[in-house]
Amino acid sequence: MNRELMSYKGIKLILALISVMTIIQSVCIIYQAKWLADIISSLFAGHRLSSVSNQIIYFAFAFTGRYALSLLIKRGAYLFAQKTGTRLREQVLAKLFQLGPAFVRREGTGNLVTLVLEGISQVRTFIGLILPRMSSMGITPVMILMIVFIENKTSGVILLVTMPVLIVFMILLGLAAQKKMDMQWSAYRTLSNHFVDSLRGIETLKFLGLSKKHGTSIKRVSDKYRTMTMRTLRLAFLSSFALDFFTMLSVATVAVMLGLQLIKGEILLNSALMILILAPEYFLPVRELGADYHATLNGKEAASAIQSIMDVPNEQKIEDHLDLSPWNENSEMTLNKVSMYRNEEGKMSLNCINLNVKGFKKIGIIGESGAGKSTLIDILSGFITPTEGEIHLSGNEHPLSSLTHEEWRQQITYIPQTPYIFSQSVLDNVRFYKPSASDAEVKQALEQAGLADLVSQFPDGINEQIGNGGRMMSGGQEQRIALARAFLCERPIILLDEPTAHLDIETEYALKETMLPLFKQKLVFFATHRLHWMKQMDYIIVLNQGKIIEEGTLDELLNKKGEFHKLIQSQLEGLE
Amino acid sequence: MKEWFIDYIKRYWRRFIVIVIVSILAVLCGAALMFTSGYLISKAALRPENVLMIYVPIVAVRTFGIGRAAIQYIARLTSHDATLRILSEMRIQLYKILEPRALFIRSKVRTGNILGLLSDDIEHLQDIYLRTIFPSIVALSVYFIVIFSLGWFSIPFALIMAIYLFILIVFFPLVSLWITKRKSQEINHQRNHLYQSLTDAVLGVSDLMISGRSKAFIRNHEMDETEITKIESSLHSMSQVREFISQGIIGLIVISMIVWSSGMANTHQIPGTLIAAFVLVVFTLGEIFIPISESTEKISQYQTSLDRLQETSHFETEDSKNEIENVSLHQKVTICLDHVHFRHDNESDWAINDLSLTIKQGEKIAIIGRSGAGKSSLIKLIYGALQPERGTITLNGIPANHFGDKMSKMISVLNQTPYLFDTTIRNNIRLGHQQASDEDIKRAAKQAKLDEYIESLPLGYQSAVDEMGENFSGGQRQRLALARVLLQNTPIVLMDEPTVGLDPSTEKELLETIFEAMKGKTLIWVTHHLVGADKMDKVIFMEQGKIEMQGHHRELMNQFERYRRLYQLDVPYQL
Repeated sequence: MNRELMSYKGIKLILALISVMTIIQSVCIIYQAKWLADIISSLFAGHRLSSVSNQIIYFAFAFTGRYALSLLIKRGAYLFAQKTGTRLREQVLAKLFQLGPAFVRREGTGNLVTLVLEGISQVRTFIGLILPRMSSMGITPVMILMIVFIENKTSGVILLVTMPVLIVFMILLGLAAQKKMDMQWSAYRTLSNHFVDSLRGIETLKFLGLSKKHGTSIKRVSDKYRTMTMRTLRLAFLSSFALDFFTMLSVATVAVMLGLQLIKGEILLNSALMILILAPEYFLPVRELGADYHATLNGKEAASAIQSIMDVPNEQKIEDHLDLSPWNENSEMTLNKVSMYRNEEGKMSLNCINLNVKGFKKIGIIGESGAGKSTLIDILSGFITPTEGEIHLSGNEHPLSSLTHEEWRQQITYIPQTPYIFSQSVLDNVRFYKPSASDAEVKQALEQAGLADLVSQFPDGINEQIGNGGRMMSGGQEQRIALARAFLCERPIILLDEPTAHLDIETEYALKETMLPLFKQKLVFFATHRLHWMKQMDYIIVLNQGKIIEEGTLDELLNKKGEFHKLIQSQLEGLE
Repeated sequence: MKEWFIDYIKRYWRRFIVIVIVSILAVLCGAALMFTSGYLISKAALRPENVLMIYVPIVAVRTFGIGRAAIQYIARLTSHDATLRILSEMRIQLYKILEPRALFIRSKVRTGNILGLLSDDIEHLQDIYLRTIFPSIVALSVYFIVIFSLGWFSIPFALIMAIYLFILIVFFPLVSLWITKRKSQEINHQRNHLYQSLTDAVLGVSDLMISGRSKAFIRNHEMDETEITKIESSLHSMSQVREFISQGIIGLIVISMIVWSSGMANTHQIPGTLIAAFVLVVFTLGEIFIPISESTEKISQYQTSLDRLQETSHFETEDSKNEIENVSLHQKVTICLDHVHFRHDNESDWAINDLSLTIKQGEKIAIIGRSGAGKSSLIKLIYGALQPERGTITLNGIPANHFGDKMSKMISVLNQTPYLFDTTIRNNIRLGHQQASDEDIKRAAKQAKLDEYIESLPLGYQSAVDEMGENFSGGQRQRLALARVLLQNTPIVLMDEPTVGLDPSTEKELLETIFEAMKGKTLIWVTHHLVGADKMDKVIFMEQGKIEMQGHHRELMNQFERYRRLYQLDVPYQL
């Protein structure tokens, strides 16, 4: 049993329900065996079929009851699993929107999508399987054993002794196989990854002229993988062999013991038959659990992976509500000793940042990668909470510990290096921030972003599907969609994180022409290492290793001949 | 279907027969255990004088008990061995399909991680044997064995049983398959939709947060999920009801068995001791027959994997049919493009439009242009992976697409995302030249200026690339790829934007290293901006498949206002 499982809402109720049903089911199993034994022994004694017709009807009832209950139990567990899955998914998604893009970057998008989609369904399978298995494992063998003891001590002892022996052997052999796998783990992993590694690198192999030859290497490695897996399997299957072996041996021993006792007249045939019928039922729950063991493993892992996401502390402070008027000429923001630790050891992404901004200004943030530009933008966008420091906003009496407030986010537009294009139409992509916008407004925004010509060439115009699965767009065009969004929603604050670093210069040049009008009458934070943008900035911050090492207007910094000047010089020099 | 499935059955049928026979034996042992047990205690109930009277059944019971476990073990091992063999062959088959298409996969399939998916598909397909084919054949064989052995006692009763069991192993599976096949299409469709919507949520998380639409998103997503849960739930409920009815049929069989065997015993056609034996054996058969419906249901899942694998054969292939045997591999190569025209298909515009260009050994050329200007087509044409529709591309007079695999002796490639394999640094570099000595590798690493970093690692050149994770920056990855290319030692090097995503100082250092190491080699460099352009012999501006401007950096600076304007973006000399 694991921690996650017991923490799900309503688990106790469903377990109790299933347990009650399992108890009734076990009674059915016992009576089914009893009546069947009675029928057979009467018939064996030479009675007519009509004399046992009542028992046959009873047997039919017990038999039907047993499987009807089994249906109810599985269905109940399934529905509970489904409900839990839905709740988990809602929680994970809500959490995702709490933790934001910094978290997504850290975890990897592929992982998160797989976890939500497949992980949750694995957890569902796990819950749906484990609840019935747990209760039948805990209840049915005990009840059967009690009856067998009442009927015949010797058989009871045989069954009682076999169970722990069987479980111990199963676990020991399972552990041995695991240990063997662990010992060869790195070799094993390399072998099993080799194929997908080869496929991913197939282009590189081609360029190296190795791709044809590599086919034989795949064969060799696959065969090696097979021999290695078979060696492990030989041991791993011993575990289920032990299960089968002890079950069958125990049933056989019970049968033989009963036979011997029958000869001596120590037991009646109907009791003996009943025990013989019950013996396999006694082991059935263990065998089912063994068969489903691997199916439940994935679910268990997924459950803990989901739990570990839920355990990440929240970024957004829900408790404090912000009263913000839209940013205007007189608005003011002050960052006071804002720091961000990258990890526990105290490495810092941002170190004691002090910054004062008033009204509509264009602020350039310059620095090499790792200098803390993106972290600063993330804090200003309200994606992450700084570890230390406070932020004053005009109109708010109390300093804030972060900007992770809905009210703040509603004022900003954020343009990253590669804006995400949703798999929707051009129309819906552009009006993503302002779903109520009319077609005419969207068209105007497209015009301003320089996309009108392109879009008019699409067969479906602004209703053309773009993004994944739709028409692919170049990096420059994607950036223009983001600009159109910004033109449309007219929010007073714009944050840009390296919007042009990956584009070719002609595209960058054309984009710059489009972008500058957007910045008018806005508060702009522009993080980049492309120095030419600084000409259009009102104020420049130079970051290095998380610290502001220089700040001022362009002229001030140029005259100062300090760090900024050095950066320019080094780019002017060109290559040696 | 044929090449991914039937061919394997044809090839492995001998093994399959062995597996099926062993599995049947295991089932029969289990049945025989219950049969002899029932017989044993019935016989004992007659209280024979001597234990020896029931000695044979006692031994048989024990033998069957142990035998069943042992044979089951063997059946498991043989079936897994066979599927692993098939897995290995399927991998090679897939690789052989993808190999000639290697250079086009990325552009053909834009979405996600198709290669990872294909590899999963193959893993998935091995289950078709273990979970569906073997159990079905075993159940079918046991079915016939049961019917024939009953027929030996009574033909009418055997026929009744045949009908009962027919429902279990033919009727239900077919109906289930039919239903799941229909519904699974719907589920797949919905699931793709959900996958898309989740990808949107994860990749567009910042937009969703800032636009304040995250709550609405969750609501929508849950609505879509409800659709799929409804279908899944109805499938589950169907399978549970089916199982209930199946068990009911087993119950009916038990009762019929009681009626029939008591009748037979009364008329002394069988001894009374067999009543218990016959009745008990029915229960073990249920375990074999009932799961068959579930196994066949899975077929609809394999279909998706099979379809995706099938599609791989339709990927674009490179054009190198005329590969010639003996190409003389000179170290001095002149590349000559003569009025080259190329387009992807007959309807589209020219990707390369009447382009002529001669590149002598040792020349350094930068190619720049917007996306879609034809840069990557040009690179593929020079590499010989594509064939021009008109005009010729030759290396020392030999058409580029005649080199085939030998092209890697002439041209090496450094692209945006060089793949580093999951092995040691040494092995990764050695891929450039497999006979290279450790000294050669060290020299290449030194030229790529990566030697100090590698030697600072605890395991040095033996460090695994995968485990380096974050210690291995974008610049260092490129340097590792550079070392590999240097070891490959070709007269021509194609560079496809190797510095995208690096910051200016890293980029500058990397370019310096590259230019220093490439002395004497022809360098064709597709780049997105002009840092380092002054070091090239020629800068070519491409637009719509044509050369717009070309010349040395100095000439272009003097002649073209447009070039000067662009150069300012990279080199802020105005500031």
